[in-house]
Amino acid sequence: MIALVRFKLAAYARSHRLFQPMIGLFAMLAVFYSSTVPPGSELSSYADSAGLLVVVFAWAARGLLDTEPATQRLISMTAAGRPGREVGAGLLAALAVNLGMAAIAIVLPLGIGFAAMPSPGDLAQGVALHLLGLIAGTALGMLTSTPILSSPAVSMLALFGGYLALLLISLTPVGRFTVPIMPWMRAANDGALGEALPTLAAATLFWSVAGVVAYVRLRRTRP
Amino acid sequence: MRLSQVSFRYSRRGPWILRDVELMLRPGSVIEVTGRNGAGKSTLLRLLAGIIPPSRGTVTDRPRVVGYAPDVFPVDQPFTVTAYLTHMTRIRRASPAAADELAVRLNATHLMDQPVGDLSKGSAQKIGLIQSLLAPPGLLILDEPFAGLDEQTRIELPVIIGEIAAGGGTVVVSDHQNQLQNFPGADHWLVATGAVTARTGERPARAVIEVLVDAAEADGVEQKLRADGYTTRRAS
Repeated sequence: MIALVRFKLAAYARSHRLFQPMIGLFAMLAVFYSSTVPPGSELSSYADSAGLLVVVFAWAARGLLDTEPATQRLISMTAAGRPGREVGAGLLAALAVNLGMAAIAIVLPLGIGFAAMPSPGDLAQGVALHLLGLIAGTALGMLTSTPILSSPAVSMLALFGGYLALLLISLTPVGRFTVPIMPWMRAANDGALGEALPTLAAATLFWSVAGVVAYVRLRRTRP
Repeated sequence: MRLSQVSFRYSRRGPWILRDVELMLRPGSVIEVTGRNGAGKSTLLRLLAGIIPPSRGTVTDRPRVVGYAPDVFPVDQPFTVTAYLTHMTRIRRASPAAADELAVRLNATHLMDQPVGDLSKGSAQKIGLIQSLLAPPGLLILDEPFAGLDEQTRIELPVIIGEIAAGGGTVVVSDHQNQLQNFPGADHWLVATGAVTARTGERPARAVIEVLVDAAEADGVEQKLRADGYTTRRAS
């Protein structure tokens, strides 16, 4: 399956589709860190970054999964031995790309965004939030990829509309039970992220896994 | 390999494409699949290849290595032919020399440095065939493999099919162009109205019908007949 992951990553890189979310990533980071973050506010910045980059992670995952033409996916399924391996390789490749983008979002402000180095605890929580963001974004990207939504217009609308819906719902009282983007931003601002993180992570992981399971089930008849 | 009571539809409320299909594929057999456009041939081939699961019924004893060549090879890929086949070789864990050997047999060595996106239909078809043969397949599925091929490759492909069958592999070919009509011992499946009718090792009886049409309509009538899977010859 690793060879198939490498094939998908090579196709993605050579197709130049990677540029689109990368431009989005750097544009967002430029806005986030246009003024230096004062000491003590690093975790709050990381929480905003992780929450707002979910849409970029979704865009990257969707672009990667849509790079292979539909018929090539059929060839890849038989070459890999069974369809599940092709679906799994797509998931791993999307996570790999988003891990790289999340790493940039974590490391870049250490050099040019923060006035001082964050504490190890804040850095760890920032990494955790970006991991949650990339997992949620990858799931959203998978559900809006071509095998699931064949119309590019509907797909883009679902991707950006879905992200907006996540943001708006997470503002409401039921927000903690969906992907809690706003609650994790608020908790970081209030200095209460440490105790809230397990609950926030559980809700994010639950919905992300549900999204991936739905994608895998739908792909059974949408190769 | 056996298909038992296999039915398939693409969605829960969608129409049945295939219903209660019962088929046996013997090792070493060559099967020619025909049927009109939209009859479900490609769906049947995808079920056989394991790309889609049956909605009902079971497929058992599918060989471990399956080769699949689609009717139209996807050229919208950012690789040279060599880079593409190198990736496919690694995915299949096949011999690194396999692609070059097959390129020689299928008259494709001159294509190896070309971008996949620059290939003509026939050239792309050859790359689709090569990738399907990289690892010796226990089950080889070819969807309209003769379309666009040059004369040398049209002659060579049945030889390769025969070699795979002689080695115990099963070969299933969707073949509108009837290039396998003289293949010795080939079984024949007709896909129509959701059913698959199998005839073992014999050709269906054929009849010749003369159809007189206006010269201006000849192209259109011929295209319709060919699209429905019939062989046509112009008398004038």
